[in-house]
Amino acid sequence: MTRLTISGLTKNFGDVAAVDNLNLEIADGELISLLGPSGCGKTTTLRSIAGFVEPDAGRILFDGVDITGLAPERRNIGMVFQNYALFPHMTVDQNLRFGLEMRRVREREMASRIAEVLEIVQLTGLEGRYPRQLSGGQQQRVALARCLVTEPRVLLLDEPLTNLDAKLREEMRFFIRSLQKRIGITTVYVTHDQAEAMVISDRIVVMFKGRISQAGDPTEIYAHPVSREVADFIGLCNFIDGRVGAVTGDERYTVQTPIGDVSCRSGIPLAAGDEATIVVRPESIRLGRRPSADPGVNSVPGKVRARFYLGNFCGYRVACADGTIIQVQEEPWHGGGVDDDVWCIFASDLAWIIHH
Amino acid sequence: MDHPSLTSEKRPHWLAFGRELVWPRANLTLLLVLPTLLFLACFLVAPYVNMLVMSFRNPSTSNVFAPGYTVGNYTKALTDPYYLTVLGQTMLFGIVTTIVCLVLGYPVAYHLARTSSRWKGFLYVGILSPLLVGVVVRCYGWIILLANNGLINDALKKLGLIAGGLKLMYNPFGVGVGLVHVFLPFMILPLVSAIQSIDPTLEEAAQSLGATRTRIMRRIVIPLSLPGVQAGSILVFVLTISAYVIPILLGAFKIKIMPTLVIQLLIDAFLWPFGAALAFILAASGAAVVFLFLRLTGRLMKGVV
Amino acid sequence: MVQARLRARARRTVFLAVVAAVYGFLLLPLVIVILASFNAGELLTFPPKGFSLRWYVHFFNSQPFMDSLFFSLRLAAMTMVLATLFGTSAALYVVRFAGRWRDGLRLLIVAPLLLPEILTAIALLFFFYNIGLGKTVIALVAGHVLITLPFVFLAVSSVLYNFDTSLEEAARSLGADRFTTFRRITLPIIKPGVISGAMLAFIVSFDLFAVSLLLKGIGTVTLPIQLFDYVTWDFDPTAAAVSTVSIAITLFIVLLAERMVGLRSLRF
Repeated sequence: MTRLTISGLTKNFGDVAAVDNLNLEIADGELISLLGPSGCGKTTTLRSIAGFVEPDAGRILFDGVDITGLAPERRNIGMVFQNYALFPHMTVDQNLRFGLEMRRVREREMASRIAEVLEIVQLTGLEGRYPRQLSGGQQQRVALARCLVTEPRVLLLDEPLTNLDAKLREEMRFFIRSLQKRIGITTVYVTHDQAEAMVISDRIVVMFKGRISQAGDPTEIYAHPVSREVADFIGLCNFIDGRVGAVTGDERYTVQTPIGDVSCRSGIPLAAGDEATIVVRPESIRLGRRPSADPGVNSVPGKVRARFYLGNFCGYRVACADGTIIQVQEEPWHGGGVDDDVWCIFASDLAWIIHH
Repeated sequence: MDHPSLTSEKRPHWLAFGRELVWPRANLTLLLVLPTLLFLACFLVAPYVNMLVMSFRNPSTSNVFAPGYTVGNYTKALTDPYYLTVLGQTMLFGIVTTIVCLVLGYPVAYHLARTSSRWKGFLYVGILSPLLVGVVVRCYGWIILLANNGLINDALKKLGLIAGGLKLMYNPFGVGVGLVHVFLPFMILPLVSAIQSIDPTLEEAAQSLGATRTRIMRRIVIPLSLPGVQAGSILVFVLTISAYVIPILLGAFKIKIMPTLVIQLLIDAFLWPFGAALAFILAASGAAVVFLFLRLTGRLMKGVV
Repeated sequence: MVQARLRARARRTVFLAVVAAVYGFLLLPLVIVILASFNAGELLTFPPKGFSLRWYVHFFNSQPFMDSLFFSLRLAAMTMVLATLFGTSAALYVVRFAGRWRDGLRLLIVAPLLLPEILTAIALLFFFYNIGLGKTVIALVAGHVLITLPFVFLAVSSVLYNFDTSLEEAARSLGADRFTTFRRITLPIIKPGVISGAMLAFIVSFDLFAVSLLLKGIGTVTLPIQLFDYVTWDFDPTAAAVSTVSIAITLFIVLLAERMVGLRSLRF
């Protein structure tokens, strides 16, 4: 299929840099998500790949061929829009035919390709319907089908699931992912929903203010975030600021913090005295009545300030030494109530130092 | 499947310079609006400029105008008490009509804006349909009703409520009725739009705080709907002072207002320069009143817009 | 407590009565005219005398009325075509391509609506006289198109403003070039705006008075002018028959447009 290269992409709107010197290599058949808050430049990047935005600088290459100057209709892309953009005055069948007509596909082949793709998206039988007669989920799948039937080189999706309700969104995530894997098409997926990005991506590209903060596979991004922004954007976290006390091993350090000494890991080499911020995910902490004896495990004392029941687990807010609140998530713990004295116990492997 | 444009095809000449050309050239699309612009320049701008020039020409007895220019038309119009009276009467009609339209139209507009009845579409039709029928037809309807031997007088006599006939036509009342009737929709529609844009939960909030309906209207709805009141009032006022057909049909030539006078001067007396000057004086006076109105109501609108 | 409830209900009833009365006021003349056209007697009296179609017969037998009716229809048709062409293309430019000229252009194109009709009519009268086109049909058509163009422009630009451009982007992402996209996606979707604008242009032109009055030449009288002349001198209900036919024509055009595009698109 197609290798996608973005090189030095820059786009300014007025004096705001929507995309700032972006470089990205997307391998053939890979699904990467552009993830970030609104205004981070992910949609602008996507639309630059599509050709609807003229970059101020930089190039876009499909398989090494520079297509930056090419009009959208000549790029052979498939794009799914947030509101599906199904042609309201055409039936499902006519919508699907549209791209094929542009490519002058012969009548008989058209029919067979449409039938095939309708089966893939499980909408066989709805050819004669108009978009307004379909549910949101069905419209979504028609939008997908309309792209795929033309066999594009690259598939671009602009927050396609935002307008669906939660349950449908979850189903569609898996659907899109399995479909993409089956066909093996290079895909760029824009979303602001980190759970979505985690589920479907081969790689996640986290963007802030027009730049890439971190690019990597989901586990990497989640467990070893590179910055406070990235850590905060993906899931809940606790931040503990401190200073490096000692180097205790390969990538291991002891950090002196207001709530005690914490042993943790870091991806970048640090020296004693360096400032460090530790990230600990709430689900990595468990609460206990006694500190742990294991040297590789941290135990921090505190008092439970609040507790709330979330169904599959319990959330706690524990106040530690200098008033810092630690958020904890664990399976309902029989016995931990408000005002109890507890120990927050977490492995040093799960305490990650991030860049400043 | 390789799309031909990405492989061996020769690059189009406009890419030869390295410039990207993904968007249409501005110059070509100008052709879309050029005919309209030329049309407007020819038949809107030029005529108005010409009319302005005409108002400064010398009047003539044998032709529509004589050579040479003068300010005399304007001085004559502005110093002659007759014309000033007519101007004043026209402005008065405008103001009174606007006020009556406002009073009658506001309840209708509020109702229409807030109703969720399934007849809403029909109500809109009810307001719009008079507009789609010509002004002559509408006036004729009032003639039938208001004439001395018209329907209203006939009905009242037959019911024994009056002895002689009521003079409902050929007087300011008849003209006023016609003006209000024809221009009421122009007051209602902007008001509906303005009231609809007021968040209904504001009224509910006021109610929850203990406000009576009157208070809610006076302190919440009316102030917030002022932009609509402004728009509707200006529209009705300008339309009224320029109305020609209604005063003639319902007032004969007894009611003297500017548009009637101007047309008379143009068609009957062929005093084109003077007529033009009067027309501009009318427009300028109207503009002055509108300006004053905007200043007055502008002060009331702080925080609304 | 109950008293307050009752008072509120009474207030509401009074309010609705006032609203209903105003609607009645708006529609009364139209109803009266239609009734009068079927009246047997010469004057519409209370109670009405009887049912008769003699006024319609009189209308259809009247040469001046018939001439003016067909002239009005032809004039309205031509005005509609021209105004729609100008208005639609102008709207496309102003909404899509105008950039910083947008507000100025918009104001200029809508100006004939904002300026009093009588002023525009006078200006046109002077202008055409000065350039020698006197009271020709060209002048009349120009005047009509000038007044009706803004209606088409507003209707089409309203549709264009609400147009979902992602539909065009989708078409282009599927391989359609700009012209194909315009032809197969944009035009069909703005059709309702174009049609309602055209319909409005027809109706407005048909009912136009001031412009027709000042620019009419010999033998080119429009129906409203003919009716006006008749009504100022004669009170018989032939005028009512003419009026009712006029209302019927308007109604027909509105229903025709509604059939084609749906009533919702008429609001702008």
